[in-house]
Amino acid sequence: MSSNVQMDPGGMETGRPLPPPRLSRGAVAWLRDNLFSEWHNSLLTLITAAVIGLALFFGLRWIIAGADWAVISTLGGRMIIGQYNIEAACPGQNCFWRPQAILLMTTALLGMAWGVVGNGLTKRIAIAVAVVLSLFALLPYGLDTMGLDVRLLLVANLPALGLGWVIARYTPLRTTKRVSITVVVAFIVALVLLRGLPGVPGLQTVSVLYWGGLMLNLLLAVAGIAISLPIGIALALGRRSNLPVVKLLCVVFIEVFRGVPLITLLFMSQVLVPLAFPENFPQNSLFRAAVVITLFSSAYMAENIRGGLQSLHRGQAEAARALGLASWQTTLLISLPQAIRNVIPAIVGQFISLFKDTSLVYIIGMLDVVEISRAFIQGNTEYLGSAKELFVFLALVFWVFTYGMSYVSRHIERNLGVGER
Amino acid sequence: MEALIRALSYKGIPLWRHVQVVQWTTQIVSGVLVVVLVVWFFANIGNAIQDREIPSGFGFLDREYQTPIGHSFLSYDSSDSFLYAFVVAFVNTLLVSVVGVILATALGIAVGVARISGNWLVSKIALAYIEFFRNVPLLVQLFFWFYIVVELPVWQDSYSVADLVFLNNRYLAIPFLSPSGLVGALVWVLVSVGGIGAAIFAYRRLIDREVRTGSAAYPILSGFAITFLVGALAWGVLSVATGDAPFSITVPNPQEPFGRVEGGFVLPGALITLMVGLVMYTAAFIAEIVRAGLQSVSRGQRESARALGLSGMTALRHVTFPQALRVIVPPLISQYLNLTKNSSLAGAIGYSDLTNVAKTMTQTAPAVSIFLMVMIAYLVLSLTYSLIGNLYNRHIRF
Repeated sequence: MSSNVQMDPGGMETGRPLPPPRLSRGAVAWLRDNLFSEWHNSLLTLITAAVIGLALFFGLRWIIAGADWAVISTLGGRMIIGQYNIEAACPGQNCFWRPQAILLMTTALLGMAWGVVGNGLTKRIAIAVAVVLSLFALLPYGLDTMGLDVRLLLVANLPALGLGWVIARYTPLRTTKRVSITVVVAFIVALVLLRGLPGVPGLQTVSVLYWGGLMLNLLLAVAGIAISLPIGIALALGRRSNLPVVKLLCVVFIEVFRGVPLITLLFMSQVLVPLAFPENFPQNSLFRAAVVITLFSSAYMAENIRGGLQSLHRGQAEAARALGLASWQTTLLISLPQAIRNVIPAIVGQFISLFKDTSLVYIIGMLDVVEISRAFIQGNTEYLGSAKELFVFLALVFWVFTYGMSYVSRHIERNLGVGER
Repeated sequence: MEALIRALSYKGIPLWRHVQVVQWTTQIVSGVLVVVLVVWFFANIGNAIQDREIPSGFGFLDREYQTPIGHSFLSYDSSDSFLYAFVVAFVNTLLVSVVGVILATALGIAVGVARISGNWLVSKIALAYIEFFRNVPLLVQLFFWFYIVVELPVWQDSYSVADLVFLNNRYLAIPFLSPSGLVGALVWVLVSVGGIGAAIFAYRRLIDREVRTGSAAYPILSGFAITFLVGALAWGVLSVATGDAPFSITVPNPQEPFGRVEGGFVLPGALITLMVGLVMYTAAFIAEIVRAGLQSVSRGQRESARALGLSGMTALRHVTFPQALRVIVPPLISQYLNLTKNSSLAGAIGYSDLTNVAKTMTQTAPAVSIFLMVMIAYLVLSLTYSLIGNLYNRHIRF
């Protein structure tokens, strides 16, 4: 800014050129602007730095020297599949291959997504997931704890990814729509595989009571996410409809489900709901829990989507009507896509809290990843001292998933240009 | 007859495309469907209750509960009735919720302001806090704090500050005021509350004067001075009049052989765990709401405040924050509701909140009735929060 010198009235009065402007680029300028701009700012920086330094010092010392991480490797696979593979669940057989087959299916689907969407974030996520999964094969367990078959099936995630990619590129399954249908079919196949088919050799039924671990959390979350979004949209539309009866029903549903803790609803689903069915009616506590979690989440989802619908200018709907679109076309093709785009962060936030809420199934006695860890500590008091480590690890596991979800949502938002047009 | 002929020879829009016909059919069908489903559901439950001789009704409420409650703010004894035990548990949840809301708001605002601080380091620390605590299930966090408390020393080796504060794996005991005489204590509390009211009134008047005249009138200082003076004066007068100070400070004193504490105020470990967990978790959400609210205030407002010569803190308090409140309050209320509902996780770490006590009650009393009461209690709490929040929201809107 050399013109500064001439334009500055102070400089003109004294006739002396002012000193050159202070640095505005480079590391020193950055430090000055962001950390040491004023004396109280500098003080704040120093205090914060000291606190961080101390926290890092003691934190690292604890992680390296103080903490005993053996509890995690002792729990090991139980954190992932719960009691699915114990003798009572799967008498006389090894059922471990079934969750693993589902894992392979998932990576294949990721490969298909990569093949359909092309390069970019999808590719990076797909490759990262497959590589991390195959690296699990190198865990330093003895072969008696983690057999060669288990390790090979883990490594097989890499070819599964490639297979999915090839299918999505070179077979009739190469449109987004067909891949989506494949995902739904695969989810049903996965459920059948986990549950087993009576009469089919090698596929004996495993009671849902033995489903557990992270597998259970992910299963509930995926089903909940997939189903709560459409229900939420329907409820939001119902709440905004000008039909008084429909509106009333939706408002009552939303407010009742939002007003009560999920844990109370889950408990009631186990105590109250079975009474409404005949005594010999096939009962499935996991299914009831899944329904409750999904309905609970869809009440919140409805409010998010209602917010999105309210944020739309009424001109959008009026223009659509003026173009001759029927009201259902206006809603489906004009209002909803824009409304959903506007509230992507809120929707993904709800997905995240649904995933976190899956840890509440402990109340109905399901051993999800949190509950099985807690039960393990309670049953093996010699590990009481390293319970902290276990829960720090669990926090990290959950964090990876939830932060991943919000990262993807921000990416989608950027791609859709939210807030730019 | 004529109407029937007209109806039969109707030549207008076909009925299945007639807007009003379609709408009314939809409404009637959906309404009837839902009513039938709900009636079927509850009729089945009613039948099941009769057929399988499951206890029901509300007759149990007068019976003695005969079960201890881990911790309660109201005094409770096992010989008290179910109804009273329910109230005790409800008060536990209510107090956890109110105190938790206050603490989480304070921490949340602090972190939210830190998040948009010009100081890079402070802002990034706030970001790390938010991203971590928001994304980990509350249950995992509660268990983490729970096992931290478990590893504290036993009561004989309590961490202690000058024998006034004791912290061990069972409780935190702090010195506390206890009333010497009921009348004296009550009068002092009432006078002090009046003093705080007067201080707030004076604060507003002095702020007004500052704005009008532009010269310093020391509103905050005056407010504190008035509060303190009124309190001290009342204390002195009451001490002379009744011959005893209205409150005496009692110091906690752990007793042999089981570490029961005499005097002071005792917070059980489970309550502390629950509080820390709830507050840290909710504050992360509140911080994000505060940040979004502050950023929603247009840049020009902040710049004008600076141009008028207001310092950073003053501008934040008098210009940015009041405007941000309009954006902040509605989602903030729903966070308060979330905190209240999340306090139902207390059972997992052994604190006796409403849900936990109700769950225990179902072993000796009809589950259906109890959970109906629990649902109504939570709905009442939620609606009260919503009501207060909406009233406040109306007050601060343009």
